[in-house]
Amino acid sequence: MNPPLVLARGLEKAYPKVYRSSDRLRALGRLLVRGEDPDRVSVLRGVDLEIRRGESLGLIGDNGAGKSTLLKLITGVLTPTAGSVEVHGEIGALLELGAGFHPEYSGRDNVVMAAALHGLGGAELREKMPEIIAFADIGHYIDEPVKHYSSGMVVRLGFAVVAALKPDLLVTDEVLAVGDESFQKKCVKWMKDYLDAGGTLILVSHSMYHVQKLCRHACWLRAGEVRMQGDVFEVTQAYLAWHERKSAALAEPRPEQRAGLEFSVISVSLNGSQGEQATLVEAGDDLRVHVRVRSRDGRVPCIAIGITRADGTAVYGLSTDMDGPPPQRVGEAEFACELELPELALLPGGYTVRVHPLDPEGVRLFDTVERSLIVRGASREFGLVRLAHHWNRVADETLVP
Amino acid sequence: MPAAALTLRFFQRELRNRFQGSFSGGLWALFQPLLQLAVYSFVFVHIFKARIPGADAPGYVVFLMAALWPWMALSEAVLRSTTAIEENAALIGKVALPREVLVLASVASSFAIHLAGFIAIVLILAALGSAIQLSGLGMAILLYVPMFALALGFALMCASIQVFVRDTVQVLGQVLPLLMFSAPVFYDRSLLPEQFRGLMDLNPFTFYAESFRVVLLDYGSFRPLQCLAALVLAAVVLLLGRWMFRRLDPHFEDFL
Repeated sequence: MNPPLVLARGLEKAYPKVYRSSDRLRALGRLLVRGEDPDRVSVLRGVDLEIRRGESLGLIGDNGAGKSTLLKLITGVLTPTAGSVEVHGEIGALLELGAGFHPEYSGRDNVVMAAALHGLGGAELREKMPEIIAFADIGHYIDEPVKHYSSGMVVRLGFAVVAALKPDLLVTDEVLAVGDESFQKKCVKWMKDYLDAGGTLILVSHSMYHVQKLCRHACWLRAGEVRMQGDVFEVTQAYLAWHERKSAALAEPRPEQRAGLEFSVISVSLNGSQGEQATLVEAGDDLRVHVRVRSRDGRVPCIAIGITRADGTAVYGLSTDMDGPPPQRVGEAEFACELELPELALLPGGYTVRVHPLDPEGVRLFDTVERSLIVRGASREFGLVRLAHHWNRVADETLVP
Repeated sequence: MPAAALTLRFFQRELRNRFQGSFSGGLWALFQPLLQLAVYSFVFVHIFKARIPGADAPGYVVFLMAALWPWMALSEAVLRSTTAIEENAALIGKVALPREVLVLASVASSFAIHLAGFIAIVLILAALGSAIQLSGLGMAILLYVPMFALALGFALMCASIQVFVRDTVQVLGQVLPLLMFSAPVFYDRSLLPEQFRGLMDLNPFTFYAESFRVVLLDYGSFRPLQCLAALVLAAVVLLLGRWMFRRLDPHFEDFL
């Protein structure tokens, strides 16, 4: 086992509360006399992190969750309020935009300074300069002051410097979002090669596509705490599902008016579990939906079952009057049915199973009950479901010999 | 990270910063103090009829020059480096670097410019036949060493306080002239009423103003106790400045 490249234990960061200028003076006095300032707002709490050489970690979370703060703590730009972080190796960091470029100086001068900050001397730099300029590919702008650059150019130059330095640990914060399509591709390709060559990466991104493509592990930060950490697919799926639920909850507040309905749902169980918490299913496993419905007048209802993405996009739905047997009587005024979906074709992600009782004619809809379903798995396919497919060989006569 | 190489880079950048865009370039560094010396000499010699007491007293121009030039190095170094951390906020927020380097480079560049000017003017005045002893030039340059330590100590303190209290540099702009006029830069200690002469030793620059005249003009004499006090003060200020800077350094990013 090689020792961890980054080891953080109980990492905590709090910013001082500074509202008026007198607060600054008071903070200065406290820091000088006592060496600490208790008046603080906490932004990161109890973060444990361990990254080994050759690993790649995606850092995801909402705005303000503490991702950038965590990166700054790792790179040593910020000092933790409590806890510790150790890094055994050279860090190349691209934090937000700019990478510390001075706006008045030309790109070339800034490259020289950035290289010096990473401990690269004159001779080595002269060797690497053409490589950096070629990678950045910003033409004559290299000799213009950085203040005239577009944000994309700044990122290009910043990335080019880091790429030339080949650090042990590369830390990037949302840099891919600014570059244009071709530069993004170049960066992603470079990062893949870098990872293949044994490099270590911490990537902050809101693009789950990039995170899944480049990282094998992920860490989800929520309001300054680690919500989930582990395999990239599980974490990103949980994160996306959480987002979908959040936007769905915002979209439709459902009034509860069950009492006195002609037909109402008594229970819905997914693979035998009834609780409100989400049911976990491995992609490709079977799913059984068991529904019990109360019928006020004892008439036989129709039961409709549907699966939607957590944000409401319909995936598939059907009802007992389409191709199934009518619900069976299981009590005085209770009916039940069970739907089985073998080898579930849903791709990994968060879904909702919706159940509605309908009148016997299948026209009027009563009541709605939803259950969360999480499909787990490591798949990079796109969309909602896996369609049956196979790849054909290209006909021989069209191949170039 | 090799801090020395980094300091050198920032030092070069600082020097270029000052002369880039200015029409006369590096010449300005020499020209500006020369002009200042000319104005002061004219005002004091021809308007106020200033005379240096003593039978073998040197001319007023060399008398003033010997203290004014070192003072400009000291005051400019402290004043300019006070904002060294604040001005590099963008860099500090993005890259981990030893931040003392920024202050050190700023102080060093002020000293380099003014020391070069000092040597040049001493040579010029000596060539013009003033009462300057060129043999004392080496000793004079040596005097810059404790003065550098003193300046760096003050600069580290002021730069770290400036991060928290932004008026520091304004206050400093008021305090420095006071320090200059309360040190024997424009006049000699012997012109003061008897009861105030001792108070002058409280001004950290008094020792340097008088010592430069001793080594260059053979005017006055060294007092061993004063020398020792000055050296101890320089060391203490440097250590105190470094302690203060290091104590506040982890919190800079929070307040920038």
